[in-house]
Amino acid sequence: MAQTVLEFRAVVKRFQSVNAVDGISFSLQAGEIFTLLGPSGCGKTTTLRLVAGLEEPDAGEILIDGKAVAAPERGLCLPPEKRHLGMVFQSYAIWPHLTVFENIAFPLRVRRETGEVVRRRVEQALEVVGLGGFAERGATQLSGGQQQRVALARALVYEPAILLLDEPLSNLDAKLREQMRVEIRALQRKLGLTVLYVTHDQAEAMTLSDRIAVVQRGRFEQVGTPEEIYENPATPFVAEFLGRMLSFEGTVSRNHTGSWVEFSQGAGRSAPSSLSESLSHGTRVRVLTRPEDVEILGAGELTANQLAAIIEQVAYLGDRFEYHVRAAGVQFVLSAPKKQRFRPGDAVRLCLDSGRLHCRPL
Amino acid sequence: MKSPSATLSLPRFRLHLRPIRMAEVGFLVFLAVVMGLPLLFLLSGSFNLAAPGKPAVYGFGNWQRAFTDPGTLSALWMSFLLSVVRLIPAMILSVMFAWLIARTDMPGGRFIESACWIAYFVPDFPLVLAWILLLDPNFGFLNSLAKSLPFVEGPIFNPYGFLGIVWVHTSTGGIWFKVMLLVPVFRRLGATLEEAARVAGANTTAMLWRITLPVLSPMILAVAVLSFIRGLQSFNTELLLGTPVGIYVYSTKIYDYLQREPRAYGEATALGSVFLFVLAILLFFYWRYLSGNKKFTVVTGQGYSTLRVKLGRWRYAALAGCLLYVAVMMLLPLAFLVIGSFMRRYGFFNIASPFTLNHWYNLLADPIFLVALKNSLIIASVTAIGGILLYSALAYLLVSRRTITAPVLESLCWVPHVLPGILLSLGVLWLFLATPLRFFLYGTVWGIAFALILADSPVTTQAFKAGLLQLGADLEESARVSGASWAYAYRRILLPLLAPIAAAVGLMNFGSALTSISTPVLLYSHQSRPLAILLLEYSFTGELERAAALGLLITLIIGSMMLIARKLGLQLSRSD
Repeated sequence: MAQTVLEFRAVVKRFQSVNAVDGISFSLQAGEIFTLLGPSGCGKTTTLRLVAGLEEPDAGEILIDGKAVAAPERGLCLPPEKRHLGMVFQSYAIWPHLTVFENIAFPLRVRRETGEVVRRRVEQALEVVGLGGFAERGATQLSGGQQQRVALARALVYEPAILLLDEPLSNLDAKLREQMRVEIRALQRKLGLTVLYVTHDQAEAMTLSDRIAVVQRGRFEQVGTPEEIYENPATPFVAEFLGRMLSFEGTVSRNHTGSWVEFSQGAGRSAPSSLSESLSHGTRVRVLTRPEDVEILGAGELTANQLAAIIEQVAYLGDRFEYHVRAAGVQFVLSAPKKQRFRPGDAVRLCLDSGRLHCRPL
Repeated sequence: MKSPSATLSLPRFRLHLRPIRMAEVGFLVFLAVVMGLPLLFLLSGSFNLAAPGKPAVYGFGNWQRAFTDPGTLSALWMSFLLSVVRLIPAMILSVMFAWLIARTDMPGGRFIESACWIAYFVPDFPLVLAWILLLDPNFGFLNSLAKSLPFVEGPIFNPYGFLGIVWVHTSTGGIWFKVMLLVPVFRRLGATLEEAARVAGANTTAMLWRITLPVLSPMILAVAVLSFIRGLQSFNTELLLGTPVGIYVYSTKIYDYLQREPRAYGEATALGSVFLFVLAILLFFYWRYLSGNKKFTVVTGQGYSTLRVKLGRWRYAALAGCLLYVAVMMLLPLAFLVIGSFMRRYGFFNIASPFTLNHWYNLLADPIFLVALKNSLIIASVTAIGGILLYSALAYLLVSRRTITAPVLESLCWVPHVLPGILLSLGVLWLFLATPLRFFLYGTVWGIAFALILADSPVTTQAFKAGLLQLGADLEESARVSGASWAYAYRRILLPLLAPIAAAVGLMNFGSALTSISTPVLLYSHQSRPLAILLLEYSFTGELERAAALGLLITLIIGSMMLIARKLGLQLSRSD
């Protein structure tokens, strides 16, 4: 049973009259990467800063290792330096007047470690982030990626209870970002770190996280593993935020043989396995699917879970085709492999995956 | 933070924000007292018929006397007239300079920019003296030169009077500061706007008249209005060149009132209050104009322009013009200051051995000079250090986002920016005389330093604010998360990073404290007389050669300090 390192209990943080964090509760287990994912201004960074002690909550309670660090009702709010955390800022916040070594040594010097301990642990930390030999560089002589590693080493050097990462990769170029993503994950596994990660990049969240919380307007829309929230988004916002969703309108039909959805304009029918019993015959519904779960087939007889469609435009992208398709009165874009090729005006069938359809009443 | 349901969390405020709240309240009270009280005393003092420090007798007598004196209104009118008239050539020239430096391929643009930077810091009083040496009808060098020409009868130049004041201002305050303000504006203009005009078929002239200048016009106008308001504060030039021929502006008029025996505090204060009122109206419209104008957003276009106007053969002509201006307006007077300080009797080139070191010997051996030097050094050091301590803390408070009263604090610290030195001096004088402060501060070097620290508040606070904003909160916050207490983070992180700004600002304030005349002129006594006032006295008593030597000495001190400041990275002209 993993132990709880961080716990939020109905935490509220207001800026003027806006609730930047609106009664969030969650807990973070030792050794996991927990990601706060959401658009800018959703409150995810504020949440992180509440953990760090850089903001004071207006209500609720924050506990680290079972001990309250902020509880406004009791007038308690530990300052950041008493919380034993490590944090990597979006800007890295490398102190420009100190060398790489002194930057990383800072948390140890603050804690009055002896010179020998400082030297050994800074060297270790530099090795861990792959910057061995950079100790005496001036902090401003480093590239973006190297600064990032220094910031990481500085946050790790005194083995913090939680590592807080605030959009650490957003200032790197695409290639470096991918590389650092892998490295952070490997580092976390190796050192058994507990990480609270903030990002607006869904690919980053999906690849790095053990669990993701999708945040909007200061609230958690959904918490779950990457797969859970992608495959079973709890709200339209979550579905839209994590990739595209296609949406078709239809009507529920039920008789003694079973139940299915008739798509509008007689485009076809489908029997989603998730079709709820509570949706009675004749209910208007919206059927949702991820575009990558839709396969394009050539013209032919429509069978179950198929939609009649027309190809309107074709774009050649080198590694695949992109088709502008119209079906059941909706226009959308589908990607398809190069092995089959359709032309504008072609009538096609769209094959849906009944196990991956979601139904919502209109 | 202040919603009604936050009542539960009130104890938290008391427990955790106490230090910063206390600092905020402390600053608020302090600034309100030191900035607000002088203003208040100024206004109430104008209705007080008794001398400061005596039991108050209220009435309208001062206002009546001030306005029945025909000199008062004409002094106010003259202030405006002078400020407007000298603005016109200065604006045209500075826009041209800025455009040539920032937008054309004129060679040596950086050099001209640096020259403006240095010229800005040359104190104005010695320059006024130098122009007297050059243009005086009796002994001015240029007049002697002109007399040797055929058909010239009598002196053709005369610095005393309206045109003389305008001319000398073009040399002293003139264009240097405006160029420094305008060059970054021209540089920051998004290249795409001009490039689009080019693609659309405009030639250089059309682009300049129809795109560049109209787009920049709000900024240019803002600089012009600011210069106008700053121009109203001018004192030194008018005192030396206007008073002898009976031209008074309001600031020299106030000075005049206070030189009478007995001092006419009431009239001086009434005149000051009227001016304050007019100034407030002007500032209100200036502020409305700045805040209401959305055109400003266009100017902050992206990146630097790579497109520079090709002047062809004219580029050398342009450079020559700029160099000529700098030479005539700055190098020529400075040269004559040097010559004047070494001449036995200025203007008499034909006597046997016209040159001598005596004025320098006499100056440096004069016990009064030594006392003044000591006073000046104390005043300038206290001003520099006090300003750094006070305004770095204020800037930190303003930037930390945690103060509710930030706008009030901010506007209080801008007050001295628009308050003319003589009025600040008068207000502070009232503050000293009407309160027990007079026992510690009246007539002492500390009192002068106090007034100068107030005068420095806008620029110093802004410099620290800019520095702190540029550093960002992250550097401090990451130190806190790393385990450092506030004090430790301040000492190890913020202080070292702010040190260059502190040093540069300190040097600048040191320099302006050395040269300021209008601020200490009402506050000094014989024990606390600083160098700049000594210079004023020398020039009043006609010891022009010794005045030239002293003016040169002050200029040299300032010059070297500014070069050090520049090495330390103080870049007034680039706001990146």
